[in-house]
Amino acid sequence: MLALKGNRTTPTALALALLCGLSGTPDVRAGDTSGTIRVGDMQFGNALDLRGWTPMLQPADPDGVSYLHAGMRRTPTGALYPYPPLADAGKPLGQGDWTYAGLIELGYLHVGGDRNAEYFRQYADWKSGAVLGLFALNFDNRKTGSYVELRGSRLSGDDQYYRLRAGRYGSYRLEGFYRDMPHTVSTRAYPIWNGVGGTDLTLPAPLVAGASTPAQVAAVSAAAPRRSLGLTRTRAGLGYEGVLYRDWIGSAAITNEKRSGTRLWGGSMFFNFPFPDDGGILETVRPIDFRTTDINLSVRNVGKLWRFLATYNGSFFRNHKDHLNFESPFALYNVAGTPQMADIKDGQFSLEPDNDYHNLRLDLTRELKWNGQFSVAGAWGTMRQNDALLPPTTCTGVGGIYIAPPADYTFQCANWNTTAALSQKSANARIDTGLFDARVTFRPTPAFGWHAGLRWYREDNKTRYLAYNPLTGQYGYISENGSQGSVVPGETGIFDPTNPLYWSRNVTVRNVPFGYTDTVLELGADWQPGRKSSLGVTYTYDHNRPKYRERKRVDEQRIKFDWVSRDVIGATVRLSWEYAKRTGDRYNYDPYVPFFSRSLPGFVDPANGLPAHTVADMRKYDLSDRTESKARAIITYPWGESATLSATFYGNRDQYDALIGRQHTRTTGATVQWDWQPTPATTVNAYLGAETSRLGISNVNDADGPDNGAVFGTPEQVNPNLGGPLYPFANQWWELDRERNRNGGFSLSHDFGRVRADLRYDYTGSLGHVGYSYATIGALATRDPASVAAAAAGFPDNKYRTNTLDLGLSFTVSRSVGVRLFGRYQSGAFSDWHYAGLDNTLSYDHRLYTDKGGQLHYNVSLVGVMLNLKL
Amino acid sequence: MRAISLLLAVVLGAASTAGAMLLGAREVQAQQTAAGSAAPEPHATPAGGLSQSDIARMLPATDMGAGAARAGNPHPADMGDSPATPFDAASIPPNPLAPQADPIGAKSCVACHAQENVQASHTLHVASFRAGAANTGPQAACESCHGPGSAHAKDPAAPGLIIGFTHDSQTPPPTQAGVCLACHAGGARQHWIGSVHQNRGLSCTDCHNPMARLSPEGVLAKSSINEVCATCHQDIRAKFNRRSHMPLPEGQMACTDCHNPHGSITRPLLKTDTVNETCYTCHAEKRGPFLFEHAPVRQNCLNCHDVHGSNQQTLLVAPVPMLCQQCHTMTLHPNDLQSAAGLGTGPHPDERLIGRGCLTCHSNIHGSNNPSGPKFHK
Repeated sequence: MLALKGNRTTPTALALALLCGLSGTPDVRAGDTSGTIRVGDMQFGNALDLRGWTPMLQPADPDGVSYLHAGMRRTPTGALYPYPPLADAGKPLGQGDWTYAGLIELGYLHVGGDRNAEYFRQYADWKSGAVLGLFALNFDNRKTGSYVELRGSRLSGDDQYYRLRAGRYGSYRLEGFYRDMPHTVSTRAYPIWNGVGGTDLTLPAPLVAGASTPAQVAAVSAAAPRRSLGLTRTRAGLGYEGVLYRDWIGSAAITNEKRSGTRLWGGSMFFNFPFPDDGGILETVRPIDFRTTDINLSVRNVGKLWRFLATYNGSFFRNHKDHLNFESPFALYNVAGTPQMADIKDGQFSLEPDNDYHNLRLDLTRELKWNGQFSVAGAWGTMRQNDALLPPTTCTGVGGIYIAPPADYTFQCANWNTTAALSQKSANARIDTGLFDARVTFRPTPAFGWHAGLRWYREDNKTRYLAYNPLTGQYGYISENGSQGSVVPGETGIFDPTNPLYWSRNVTVRNVPFGYTDTVLELGADWQPGRKSSLGVTYTYDHNRPKYRERKRVDEQRIKFDWVSRDVIGATVRLSWEYAKRTGDRYNYDPYVPFFSRSLPGFVDPANGLPAHTVADMRKYDLSDRTESKARAIITYPWGESATLSATFYGNRDQYDALIGRQHTRTTGATVQWDWQPTPATTVNAYLGAETSRLGISNVNDADGPDNGAVFGTPEQVNPNLGGPLYPFANQWWELDRERNRNGGFSLSHDFGRVRADLRYDYTGSLGHVGYSYATIGALATRDPASVAAAAAGFPDNKYRTNTLDLGLSFTVSRSVGVRLFGRYQSGAFSDWHYAGLDNTLSYDHRLYTDKGGQLHYNVSLVGVMLNLKL
Repeated sequence: MRAISLLLAVVLGAASTAGAMLLGAREVQAQQTAAGSAAPEPHATPAGGLSQSDIARMLPATDMGAGAARAGNPHPADMGDSPATPFDAASIPPNPLAPQADPIGAKSCVACHAQENVQASHTLHVASFRAGAANTGPQAACESCHGPGSAHAKDPAAPGLIIGFTHDSQTPPPTQAGVCLACHAGGARQHWIGSVHQNRGLSCTDCHNPMARLSPEGVLAKSSINEVCATCHQDIRAKFNRRSHMPLPEGQMACTDCHNPHGSITRPLLKTDTVNETCYTCHAEKRGPFLFEHAPVRQNCLNCHDVHGSNQQTLLVAPVPMLCQQCHTMTLHPNDLQSAAGLGTGPHPDERLIGRGCLTCHSNIHGSNNPSGPKFHK
């Protein structure tokens, strides 16, 4: 009644209620779990049943939720709640207070058509055969609140989950689960190597490492069988959460994850593009053999005034295959034209090292006067690894190039192919993190509130590595398995202050321990001019101090306005607009001098000076000056008694102050959705969405060839300026990526009584076009007439499109037995110019690819019959 | 065109089916109306012409004496080693719009709200309340959330006399949230106050519905977490349909795997302190630290990846080599304009463009632990 007497009492009452609510009873101790604190495992489902419990939701209760109100209630925003399923009271279990309820859904699935299409089975292991749709069994004790829940589903051995939960409401909960999740990387892979999935890729006969012709390689590639590459993520976990003592609640969880399989990888034996019949570019296959063990502990206390939360997260990653060796079939020739002494044919990768991670965080919140709250959080974390390092190369004999005395650019592999060639035997890598976050909020009157926040975060990289070979006294490394220095004289990767051949070589000699300290200050206020609307403004100042980057300081100021109204012609409207401006200190285009050999004693500047590291007008997009604006509107309109119309409109504009680098991004989009639930038996949904985006960049080709300036190797190569001799305006180019996305669909479900029919159609389509322009052909990678003509034609469009139609009929045979027939038809189309031509051949001169990319067109059908038994 | 044709065909096919369904639906509705005629009519008009006093007279007397029991002690003592759950001690929140109201007990509520009682009884929320009340005597399950009901019972049609959580309710969202937080404060909701969802005026019941078992877990407002989030975030949901995406459309993941919608100390409501820490949880191999780091990778995964979905391979924000050429303009090979000439079908196939492009050679782009890996070749 008070509400009817005027608005004056409402704000006071509202404040009282909020205050009462926030300082309410602490007696409810383990009212819920900490699931939404921990990352992962919130969802157990699969492509057959996205929710993981759909059969448990049918049939809908014909009486809805109320005899008093027709139709369904809506959320405070205005969206309709679905009609609830018919309540199942369960069956008594023995003579006690326990009841049970359950169902099992099993059947047979047949997959026809292009069942191996990559985008059909990207995260679903569809197979013809028997499937367990759902097994759910719940035991409840209505008197004590104790329960046991079991749930599982199985599409295949690589796509399944099982979970057991037990506990007592408000007291404790135990959970154990096991799940397999598939991820298909490629279904059109044609690797030529033996040993795929392992750490040693060897060439099949008749190929000989380092001595095969492109024609021989092409022939073997053409005969290679088609394979699928991918991995399975297998997770198993145990968790407990419950009252420890009085108002203290604790949780402990351990999760063990194994990832096994293969992924596409690379393999470089130096360029092929500038050196026909030379170099080696290989798309290889790497093994995935990871194990990660996560431990999560937490303890919390919720009191009337104080709330405390302490969490520990530990993660321990182990890679059981920490390297990949591969044989390259291609022969290398040096550009000096002298007899090739080097026999470089083997490559090696270090794969990801093991690592340990610890993070301890404390959160404390206190209620304050004036309807206020103060929160503070502090965390310390560390990530470390100390894996044994591999030697710089695996070559044997001699690498490099011998021209004539004194131009002896060879190196003895024995001096570099053991760990004795390293300044340290293990990585000893470590990054520590620190966090402090404080926030205070006050709402002195119900109509007005303000808040302030301060966040400080630091990432401190403590890894230090010096690339020094104690065997030779030289600095640096062996580039690209020794291939680079065996093709181009002196480009071995070595700096030697005692050798004139190497004392001007500017190579990496130290790691760069990137890190940053970020401080964010936020001030905000909100005002409620009416009972159903509010207006807010937030100002944010972000002060970032990156280490060893082009800028030492990056500042961003952001202001955001938002407006919420719950009654715009009956609709709820949420609008927001924000504007941000990022600036910083002087941009140093080359901050990496201390990490290169030019910083070492004994370095001799070359006669023509060192070529500019990069163009001085380059601005990396995470550091450049930028203005940004974003706008978003979310509208929810209750349409009559049984429908909801909702829509989203959004747009982002980013303008980067960069002559070279990212220049702008733009995104504009809208979605609209209609949901209709005229009766418990019928639901209808239709949706449409459209989005366009643009990303524009600019770059400049350096004048490195006779047909575009040929400054490289001359005294003018030291000039880093755009418009200078090394980076002339004539070589500048611009590229624009435009993407257009459309999606739409509808669904219809109706229960006729003995049978329920479901129909669903979904369409998604994207069109991407990369366009470019250039000042002159000096910008182009290749400038012969054929290339210029091809460049003028531009890239073809990239496309991705799927149409999916689902039909289902569910028959009720008896109260406990049901049968479901369903089918899916999906067609897809894909094109990506990265894979243009690979359908015809995977071999181009000294380049060999493995993956042909996604299937260009596919049609696949899926039919199934499921028996549904209520237990 | 083929998609449009297919769409039209499906629409036509569906329309006839829908017509039949809707005819059937009207019959069901008619039956429902008839069946419901025995029950009280909706709130807008006093049922069957009954006056407020008629309604008050028809209601049963309070069954629990809860008002009297709580008059002197609104927070009953903990039951110690009782088998009851701690929920039995839940208090009754005051209704700011009916401050004089008294508790009347669930039996009175159920006299009218019989179907609500049926549905709610099967939810995790109310079942746990019941489990507690079954052992500890007078409690007020309904009124623990809806506030004292006497004023509402006397005048059921007047809005605001009971704490409501739906669109037509007079109870403001902050009051609604306050009721829920009375029990659910702290833990995952430690940072609700000040979160973007709180600031945008969301109520707990925008995402949850404890009155019906719409989802077997999580007392959600829709049938799954992802459907709940997509109610407002339709554009984000659409991105998951793109060529590369996280496995949400396949039912393997939920938005809440990465985000805590109840509030966190990060602006996008991440569960960890930073973007990268969230990513490392499932992609622990990317954590390193590596001997040689790649600056934008270490700083923020989002520099190169659009985690919700992308039209490029592996969630990249732009096609390679364009992605890399936003930053790499060093002399020699990185800064050439790649054109259609370098495609596999072009006159000069170029490894910087074909397949994985730059990543064919710089494969360890997330960081290298090899002494010869400063450029991520090894």
